[in-house]
Amino acid sequence: MADKKKMSVAEMIAAARKADGGQSSVSASDSSTSQVDDESASAQASEASAAETPASKPAPAKGADGGRLSVAEMLAAARGQGAPGAAKPAEKKPAAKPAAKPAAKPATAEKPKAASPPSEPRDTASILAAAKKSSKAGPTSKAEAAAKEKASPTAKAKPQIVVPPMPEKPDYAKAKPAGAAKKSAEPVDETRRGFLSLGFWSLGAVGALWTLATVKFMFPNVRREPPSKFKVGFPDAFPAGQVQEKYKAQFGVWVVNAEYNGQQEIFALKSVCTHLGCTPNWLEAEQKFKCPCHGSGFYKDGINFEGPAPRPLERYAIRVADDGQIEIDKSRTFQEEMGQWEEPSSFIPV
Amino acid sequence: MHGLSESQFQDLVASFLGPYYIALAAMNGLAALYLWRSGQSKDWIKLPGSIGGHSIAITNVVVWLLVGMVFAILAAIAGSGNTALVSLPEWLREAINRGTGPIVYSVGTTIGLIVLYFLRGFFVRPAVAWTIWNLMWLFLGLSMTDPDFYDIVAKPDNVPIVMLVFLLAFFTWLATYRAVINDNRIANGEPPLEKLDDEKILVWPDLVYTELICMIALTAFLIFWAIALPAPLEEAASSVKTPNPSKAPWYFLGLQEMLVYYDPWMAGVVLPSLIVVGLMAIPYLDFNKEGNGYYTIKQRPFSYAVFQFGFLEMWITLIVLGTLLRGPNWNFFGPYEHWDAHKVEALNNVNLSEYVWQRGLNMSLPGALSFSDMPWVPLPDWLTSFLNPFLEFFSLLFGRELPGTLLVLGYFIALPPIMALTVFRGFYQRMGFIRFMVMANLLLFMASLPIKMVLRWVFNLKYLIAIPEFFFNF
Repeated sequence: MADKKKMSVAEMIAAARKADGGQSSVSASDSSTSQVDDESASAQASEASAAETPASKPAPAKGADGGRLSVAEMLAAARGQGAPGAAKPAEKKPAAKPAAKPAAKPATAEKPKAASPPSEPRDTASILAAAKKSSKAGPTSKAEAAAKEKASPTAKAKPQIVVPPMPEKPDYAKAKPAGAAKKSAEPVDETRRGFLSLGFWSLGAVGALWTLATVKFMFPNVRREPPSKFKVGFPDAFPAGQVQEKYKAQFGVWVVNAEYNGQQEIFALKSVCTHLGCTPNWLEAEQKFKCPCHGSGFYKDGINFEGPAPRPLERYAIRVADDGQIEIDKSRTFQEEMGQWEEPSSFIPV
Repeated sequence: MHGLSESQFQDLVASFLGPYYIALAAMNGLAALYLWRSGQSKDWIKLPGSIGGHSIAITNVVVWLLVGMVFAILAAIAGSGNTALVSLPEWLREAINRGTGPIVYSVGTTIGLIVLYFLRGFFVRPAVAWTIWNLMWLFLGLSMTDPDFYDIVAKPDNVPIVMLVFLLAFFTWLATYRAVINDNRIANGEPPLEKLDDEKILVWPDLVYTELICMIALTAFLIFWAIALPAPLEEAASSVKTPNPSKAPWYFLGLQEMLVYYDPWMAGVVLPSLIVVGLMAIPYLDFNKEGNGYYTIKQRPFSYAVFQFGFLEMWITLIVLGTLLRGPNWNFFGPYEHWDAHKVEALNNVNLSEYVWQRGLNMSLPGALSFSDMPWVPLPDWLTSFLNPFLEFFSLLFGRELPGTLLVLGYFIALPPIMALTVFRGFYQRMGFIRFMVMANLLLFMASLPIKMVLRWVFNLKYLIAIPEFFFNF
């Protein structure tokens, strides 16, 4: 029904031309393609023809057809009031729809030839036609056009075009049975869709593989970084006042035996400047750590005293392991400003 | 000097200085030729007597020619290896070394900028400017014979900085020269120079051809430069060994210098962002409609002064300082001073809170408050543990660091209204509240850097507000 209801532009124009020429032969009942059900159309037609002679009917009268006026009808009515002799459209759209169904089927064959006004309240063609018309200003609704056709006997007089029966279709043109049609039509579709979905699935699979491989890459088989816990030898190897630089290159740590808060202790200083993360140098002559980037300086015990470093160097966890060697654990750090240097695992008392 | 012996160094410098002075001689000769041929010669000193009825005078052409000849003689001396004759005397180098501490350097550049600004009418005169130009080159040439100076300046990394100094001097002179001429014309009721020649030209081909030629010339120059002075490769990077001194790319050296005075968060994030945001805000803050499309200083004194201070003083000067005057351990070294990694500088920096509490009031630093010290507070445990950091932070901010907090808040809150009521009264009336507050705060942030630098140098002040417990330092 949906495709029946809609007319092609060409048809609309043809219909308009026919109605225009005043010699259109299609009666409202004939033009069942108009999707206007016969009785309502004829009723309208009679009504319209009755209304033809007097001046235009007042718009509210249309309401008598049962139901409210559509906006299009109101507009048409308003226009019709201005235009003398114009008939009012009275078509009820909801009524037309169900009616069109039975009407449409038999009309199919004739449809191309049967010029008929579309059932829409107003269409472009009618507007165009109305513009051309001298008799009536303003666009015409379908029903109006139909009514007009009906009203004019000349239009009826037009001989019906007789269509000779079509020759029988050759085999190749015959519609195939449903199953066959499906087979022939769908595979084309199927292959394209199938290809696309295959493509997307494989794309997704490759992406997933890549992601997995990247994740795997983050966990290499061999880790080159030194273990976080390592032993640096026995406490006797760190005489008082010494900064042992031996482990800086490999582990980033100074092992210092110095006095802090009046107590002699061995501790492991992290060789990272607390200002911006450069690696300071131990200057033996000046007895201080000095950062080459912005000039921060730290005493032997790691307390900052010059330059922009806001806090002391950090300590790593340190302890005497069971075998008597000093073991440093880089996984834990101790910050002086947080009071963590008091914790026993941050130093070895000497 | 990379293990070069004294005589090897002499040869190296001589081979550089010979062509260098010849180029300077040619430069002056060309200038004299140009002045003579274009009829711009002026009599500077009238000589008594005359030849053939023409009075004799020493014109500018003659003077520049003579200067060129002096350079030619210097080229001969330096090129022949007598570098001792063409170098600065020892006492002068010592004086310069002593004079270029951070204080003298930055105060000197500031005063220099002010003098140049107010006496610009004198300094932009072509003869004066050309004299300064020649003196700059002569200073560079004479200093080159010092091994330590040569070591710094001739390092391929630092060559662009030397070029930058000269280019900047030239372009600053050019703009100021045009501005001074325009200001004089405007004072006489004449239109500025740029308005005389405002004929429109086409993008294609005029502009595009110019750009194309510039592009080709610059590419050729860069290729030549890259071949002549290959970029230095250093040893392989190591996470535990930082080169000493460790310098940022030259265009970031101003920021690196800023990091010496501020917390990394402040100098690395906040202030650089503010620089960018502030530059973007200029069109919205500027209410002065004059000076559009021509050089002028008198019509835009505030904008000009602020920009030149920010650019020349706070950006270029700091780049030059960072490149040429910062040595091992980020210590300050004079231009002729040996980069001794063991130079000792007493830089015991002290926070303001330590100054006030420990030295001023002779008591220990107040600690942070904590809910664990206050069992009488009727709050559940989960809430106190959540609130504890906040309590700790604010008790430090308004307890131990109260002096600095008051100073900083006063600086940023009290100063803008005072500025609006006094020196910037007219600005405030024309800009409205919001625009003025934005401008005032940007200005104050800009001024905070030199203020902090001076405080560091004079009082060894480390931070006004120092809360390392929360990485909050200002």
